[in-house]
Amino acid sequence: MSQLLNQSPFWPRDDASFLKEMNEICAWHLAGCPEYRRVWPDWSEARSFEDLPFLHVGVFKRQLWKTDAAGIVHQRTLRSSSTSGATASMVALDERSSALQGQSSSAILKELVGDSLRPLAILDHARALRQRGEVSARITAALSLRFLASEVHFLMLDDGSLGWDRLRAVLERQPRLLVYGFTWLLWQSWAAATVPEDVRRLLAGAEVHFVHSGGWKKLEAARVDRKRFDEGLLASVGPGSTVTEYYGLVEQVGVVFPRCESGFYHVPRWAGALVRDPWTLETLVGQPGLLQFMNALSWGAPYHSVLTEDLGRLLPGNCPCGRAGQYFELLGRVPKAEVRGCANV
Amino acid sequence: MFDQLHFFASPRRNIAVVLPYDLEERLRQWTALRRKMVVQVPEAFTRDEWAYLVAFLDEANLRKPFRESFGDAEADGQAPLGALLRPRGLTGIWLPNNVSLLGPLTLILVSFAGAPLWVKVGSNAMDLTAAFVSFALQHLPAGELAEYLRGQVRIDRFDRQDPRNGEMAAAAKVRIVFGTDAAVSAIHLLPHPANSIAISFGNHRSEVWVQKEALTDDRLTALIRVFSIYGQAGCTSPRRVVVLDGSGADAREVQERLVGGWPKVVRADSPMHVAVANVMERQLALAQGWQAVVVQRNRAVVAAGELGLREPAGLMTLAVVNASIAEGAASLPPNIQTIGHIVREPHAPQWLELIARTAAKRFVPVEAMHHFGPVWDGGNFWRQLFEEVCLQS
Repeated sequence: MSQLLNQSPFWPRDDASFLKEMNEICAWHLAGCPEYRRVWPDWSEARSFEDLPFLHVGVFKRQLWKTDAAGIVHQRTLRSSSTSGATASMVALDERSSALQGQSSSAILKELVGDSLRPLAILDHARALRQRGEVSARITAALSLRFLASEVHFLMLDDGSLGWDRLRAVLERQPRLLVYGFTWLLWQSWAAATVPEDVRRLLAGAEVHFVHSGGWKKLEAARVDRKRFDEGLLASVGPGSTVTEYYGLVEQVGVVFPRCESGFYHVPRWAGALVRDPWTLETLVGQPGLLQFMNALSWGAPYHSVLTEDLGRLLPGNCPCGRAGQYFELLGRVPKAEVRGCANV
Repeated sequence: MFDQLHFFASPRRNIAVVLPYDLEERLRQWTALRRKMVVQVPEAFTRDEWAYLVAFLDEANLRKPFRESFGDAEADGQAPLGALLRPRGLTGIWLPNNVSLLGPLTLILVSFAGAPLWVKVGSNAMDLTAAFVSFALQHLPAGELAEYLRGQVRIDRFDRQDPRNGEMAAAAKVRIVFGTDAAVSAIHLLPHPANSIAISFGNHRSEVWVQKEALTDDRLTALIRVFSIYGQAGCTSPRRVVVLDGSGADAREVQERLVGGWPKVVRADSPMHVAVANVMERQLALAQGWQAVVVQRNRAVVAAGELGLREPAGLMTLAVVNASIAEGAASLPPNIQTIGHIVREPHAPQWLELIARTAAKRFVPVEAMHHFGPVWDGGNFWRQLFEEVCLQS
């Protein structure tokens, strides 16, 4: 159990405590996961964060990693949503980590949208819950808000459109609402959709807190920027409504990095971030590079320290928003280029 | 355009080939274009790709299909002739996405058959064939080659569902299809003229066989150069290096030499996504039991290991295994295309006997692995662009 979870997520922390927890978790995975041991055969206790072992985020797309140890009961496999047709990541969930991850996401999301109970409307299908043995990242992200929910409603219909009747039924009873959706889905199904007149009237008097994640790739292609996105959502809802975004990745389940009003993403005190040079893997300070994330919550598989393909820059000092701890600027994905070869590429 | 007889002689027989163009003039024009190409690399091409095209347009290389297929050129047809060859007619070429130079190279070769050409390029990738033709039309002087490219070469971009696939298959006398085995089969299943022929270039892969004593620094350099052009994306690019009759330690030694030599051969940094992917591929290879090492600045991964390990799949990951010659041959994949050799005596009868028992289509020096020519994937496809009229006196 991470001691760091005992405080508010964006309070200052003692780095030595986090490093100690990370060393423990690394040693745990080395002992319980033979594949991980083969990747880091010579590793011994790290004296700094940059010496902690990591796995590239892509390895979770090609292989299911698991750590076997006393007290670890593996549950379902979490799959990334793979919206752009790419291969999905597979993350083995376990009871011990899930409890910590739930605690983590609750604490962070409470910071974002407050802790009062209200209906949670999810832009997804209820059937996403019923897949045996697997759970999608989208539904996991949505359900991380369930502790703030007095009731949960799934708004998507089988044809992919939004069930306005379902929303109407909720709004007729409750003028305060929490709505979660993947960024592109929230835009496509809500902000850019034609809202029925009666639902529009109900929304105009409702306080809606939109929470979204999942990235902007699809919306960039549609030339929708953040300003247009926020304005599109807030145009139809009542006073006090907000739009909150966070960054997260399936391979860091339970840890979300909220975007603050200054436009930066914040690292909770039970997690850590590094930036590495793509060609040398040396750590960079104040310069853009590959983001690496660490957390002391993941015991069932070695996704506690992951080198991503997202580019970012760690910023020095304290964020103008007042939150303590590490914060970073997100600069997009590693640019891809066409691979050319023969017919059998 | 005019039909002109050209004569060729081989020890076996003399033949006449009727071509709807002037061969010497076409050769002159392609080589003239080559001189323009040396000056400027179009944006669509990498420097390596363009350099290869420039080399390919060498006059001696362009004459090779005729020499290898028909014999030496003769000034006249005084000797008794055994055959008359004439182009079959419209040639359709299907190219998949992400294909490198096969489009331009095939176009150049097919241009010497003189037949009209209809090229289908991939629907969502950079199209080098049209880029090459566009460059040629910009830089060729007015003449018969420019007329041919402008008037008889049609390049269309569409996907596998497009009805134009059917139109091409119905019209073409020759169907040349590059692609996955499934894509190739699908094209040949389309209705086509009964007297048309199919030329298939499906899934293939290649590898390098090394005898440690033959692996000089120059040949090591050649191996790195050949691999680094396409990595595992090239059907003629080695996926693995087999150290013949070597030990595990020998494979590790070859690995070390490759890793050490790489930065001297490939000086430029890899694109960021390749460098980052190499970090992943190394970790996956290690997890599978390979001794995987990343080349300086994440340029590539060289993984040494046992023959039975699951092969690493990264674009820029080269596996090195040790095996007896028999094990090496037995472990060749069924779709083996080229074996690049770095062996002491490649002409020794043992190799011929060994290759005869494999499915390999080419056994060539490592330096020549990517060299495209009229004989490809097990046959002289260029020769098949002509039909043969039997002549007896």
